[in-house]
Amino acid sequence: MANANPVKRQIAMVLDLNKCIGCQTCTIACKKLWNKDTGTGYAYWNNVETLPGAGYPRGWGESGGRTPDGGVKAGRIPTLDDDYGRAWTFNHDEVRKRAGEGEGKPWLRPNEKPHWGANWDEDRGAGEYPQDNHYFYLPRLCNHCTHPACLDACPRHAIEKRDEDGIVLVDQDRCHGYRFCVEACPYKKVYFDPLRQVSTKCIFCLPRIEEGVAPACARQCPGRLRFVGYLDDEAGPIWKLVHKHRVALPLHPEFELGPNVFYVMPMSPPKLDAQGRPTDEPRIPTRYLVSLFGERVPEVLATLEAERAKRRSGEPSELMDLLIAYDWNQNFALGPRKREVL
Amino acid sequence: MRRKVSLIAAPTGMSPGGYVPVAYVGRDAPRTPVVELETSKSGSLWRVELVWACAQEPRALADDVDRFTDAAAVLAPSVADAPWLTMGAPGKSVEGALWRADREPLFGVSAQGLGTVTRAAAPAGWRASAEWKSGRWRLLFELEGWALLEAQRKLAIAVWQGAQNDRGGLKSVSSGWLEIAA
Repeated sequence: MANANPVKRQIAMVLDLNKCIGCQTCTIACKKLWNKDTGTGYAYWNNVETLPGAGYPRGWGESGGRTPDGGVKAGRIPTLDDDYGRAWTFNHDEVRKRAGEGEGKPWLRPNEKPHWGANWDEDRGAGEYPQDNHYFYLPRLCNHCTHPACLDACPRHAIEKRDEDGIVLVDQDRCHGYRFCVEACPYKKVYFDPLRQVSTKCIFCLPRIEEGVAPACARQCPGRLRFVGYLDDEAGPIWKLVHKHRVALPLHPEFELGPNVFYVMPMSPPKLDAQGRPTDEPRIPTRYLVSLFGERVPEVLATLEAERAKRRSGEPSELMDLLIAYDWNQNFALGPRKREVL
Repeated sequence: MRRKVSLIAAPTGMSPGGYVPVAYVGRDAPRTPVVELETSKSGSLWRVELVWACAQEPRALADDVDRFTDAAAVLAPSVADAPWLTMGAPGKSVEGALWRADREPLFGVSAQGLGTVTRAAAPAGWRASAEWKSGRWRLLFELEGWALLEAQRKLAIAVWQGAQNDRGGLKSVSSGWLEIAA
């Protein structure tokens, strides 16, 4: 593994999926800040997808990453037409020119009939109404992995993992656009800009981090579901959620890359039986969550249930108070230059 | 004098990083097995013509993220024993010209070992013209005052077939330096 040496510190993010409403504010905050170039019209460093679903790009996770013994798994590059979906263009000019024509005026519509795109399968989910229909939202960004597949894949040494915070960056001056990084990343969070002929990816809002400000996706989240800080900061939310309460798990740990974005998995109401009575089974199948977050899922769900019950009965729960985010400032621990959230 | 040069697949096992040597293990067959080479010199102007089979008609790539361009490069060593397959070594650089079907103008390239290639604008007086016709590329480099070739009279060739996903170290190369007569 090319990046076997740990960094001095690792910045990380925890996302509480119980609070994500799929509003895409994070997606837009990121897109408007970093990805307005024509060549990255299709690219979302941050996206929110509906699960169960095919995701964005379609079928991500099916190629690249590692085998259980740490070996390389060959990947593939998604296509714009079938996997990402091209950025839509609209008939704005036609609509504008014929705006006053009454009933015959055209609707605003895509210029070409789209057949896939980011969040194409929004809110579809799975199951049968009313017994067990279910879905939840999964916001995704680069995991700034401990052992990044993208870094290992680049023959140009154009990708680095910063020693001071573990943020993974593409040096676009060195990048020659070979796209082995796109192939190798199983999360498919490296994007190729065909106009500039370079790879691009989430930089964890590095200029903001260096000023003690949380990334735009986290800071703009209306649901306050994102936590940002350092994994080794025992006073911060990341250490508490990942190591102390052990309720935040990485996505697809079986890829063996050591993701540093963690998720508090979604709890769900019970399935109904044929007579419409609640059963003991959750609507979101636990085996499905295990397929995403690994074998510790049942333990985490039990912890969340127990802590929620404590809070309901009036007992204190540090975990629930933290997840509820009564004090939003506790979501972000980016000292020593941390700025207060106003 | 025109001659046929057999190419080999650049060994993927030598590629820097842990991914390419494993993901592309067994990619041993050159996507461009043969190239026709003709060199000539007029004053200080070197002409290097390459002709090779390329079944796929070139297409614009600006709207795609999973397609690669056809390309070719010629290199010369700075010293006689500069290794070719590794594109030179520290202190034993190689340099030359890189043509890509999807862009103009020509790149000037130099390297001192695998993963060290730098691309820059080609020297003034260097240019290339290319035509794809009936499944063949015909590419003419015109390289004014190429000092390394003049001094070493050795040349190496690399060809990338974009439709075969060639890029970077996935390429067909001459098996060593080719002796060039003026």
